[in-house]
Amino acid sequence: MTQDFDNPYAGLSPQRTGQPAAVIWRWVSERGVRLETGEATLARYTALAGGEWPEIEDIIPADGNVLLILRRGAVMSAALRLALSQDAVSRPASSGTLHQITVEYGGAAGLDLDELAQQAGMDRATYIHSHSAVEYRVAFLGFQPGFPYLRGLPAALHAPRRASPRVRVAAGSVAIGGGYCGIYPVSGPGGWNLVGRVDVSVFDPQRAGPALLLPGDRVRFVAA
Amino acid sequence: MIEVLRAGLCDLVMDQGRPGYGALGVPAGGAADPLALAAANRLVGNDSRAAGLEVTLTGPVLHFPAGGVVALAGARFSVTRSSGAAVPWNAPLILAAGESLMLGRAEAGCRCWLAVRGGITVPLVMGSRSTFLPAGFGGYQGRRLQAGDRLPTGEGAAEVSGGRVTGPAARPDSMALRVIAGPQADHFDDAGLTALFCTPYRVRAASDRRGLRLQGATATHRRSALPSQGVMPGAIQVPPDGQPIILGWDGPVTGGYPVIAGVIAADWPRLAQLQPGDTVRFATISVDAAQALAVAASSIGE
Repeated sequence: MTQDFDNPYAGLSPQRTGQPAAVIWRWVSERGVRLETGEATLARYTALAGGEWPEIEDIIPADGNVLLILRRGAVMSAALRLALSQDAVSRPASSGTLHQITVEYGGAAGLDLDELAQQAGMDRATYIHSHSAVEYRVAFLGFQPGFPYLRGLPAALHAPRRASPRVRVAAGSVAIGGGYCGIYPVSGPGGWNLVGRVDVSVFDPQRAGPALLLPGDRVRFVAA
Repeated sequence: MIEVLRAGLCDLVMDQGRPGYGALGVPAGGAADPLALAAANRLVGNDSRAAGLEVTLTGPVLHFPAGGVVALAGARFSVTRSSGAAVPWNAPLILAAGESLMLGRAEAGCRCWLAVRGGITVPLVMGSRSTFLPAGFGGYQGRRLQAGDRLPTGEGAAEVSGGRVTGPAARPDSMALRVIAGPQADHFDDAGLTALFCTPYRVRAASDRRGLRLQGATATHRRSALPSQGVMPGAIQVPPDGQPIILGWDGPVTGGYPVIAGVIAADWPRLAQLQPGDTVRFATISVDAAQALAVAASSIGE
């Protein structure tokens, strides 16, 4: 192999220096560029999504990284490389649409709530209060169309995914997977712990805004 | 209008897909070989972006009460028409009112595309007519076709092209799929890398548009939990069992398994033609070389 810049075995260990001025990136394929964005993921996503990049087909934020998908036959422009060499300025924490979402906690709507509360050493009411007292931030969407990964879950409520996923989880189920809270947009298999259910549609492809929650949005749950 | 008399294994209405919704968790999807569908569209006088049918392994029997002009591109399938006349590939085919087109099995490869003059005019969903099976939207009622379905077609505007269109020259199946080392290639030890890049893998039956599941030497890696990352078609994920999955057109937009490599875009049409039981090998290529190939491939398609 004669390549050097994209040598798969060169520079494999990114330096984790918080928010580097120049974002470290790696190829996923020649149409995919993975940016290491760490805590600046939302800021970097917002900055890129707000720009005009003829070579970019899609921008996908995730957990500490952003994927740029380039259009067929396109290459990264000098302008894009320059933008990636500069800091992404974080937006104030108060930005992003605030959604108040009503949740029916426990019972058939939240099959795992009692067990989770017990594991957390809380009674049911305290657990529900803990879950609904904080403001969450949509870090990214994935897994299914419209499935939000919400940051902000209190540490006491973190819970590993279930050892064996359920065959069917109802649409609208509010669930906990590790340190994330999520909402299942459609019914289907799922391995997260169920604490409740919302009465709104979080994803509807026929709607003008198909996804209720967008990266950077804020969420407050209100117990029904 | 086209009436489905008998459905194939997985007949899906597809166009060029709905790119740009990855941040909502929706992959671009669309025809597994968009250039093949675009070529078939041009043969019948359609805009390249018109919706047609993607046919997999076994095709449907389609009835054309008012006749129509169609074109087939992609893998060759056994095919007959009710009039008994020949059915050419990569050329416009004029069907008389009341004629039927009977697609059988794929003779080689896995998928073909059928364009019809005027396009299949199912409603646009998020800017596209492509079926997205995992969430059941787009296409014809969000699902594969069934006997009795009636597909709406539009009015043909342009002249039908008289010529034939030849797609990009296919690389022989025996040649390795070209890949770029992925963002987590360093998570794999020498044995794991050797397994992927130096040994053959077989395509498992549990493969679909979400991903091609492979079976072969175990690509061992450090089993550290990986934060979710954006993924895309062609990305080769390796779950804890060490058996790689090449993500397909309807795969998830984020994943938590290490990505050892990514199949270059110029070889995605070859992924569309892999069927269970096929053997694949991988070979690395530089990003620059891959981008040059992609530019060449897209210029053939326009």
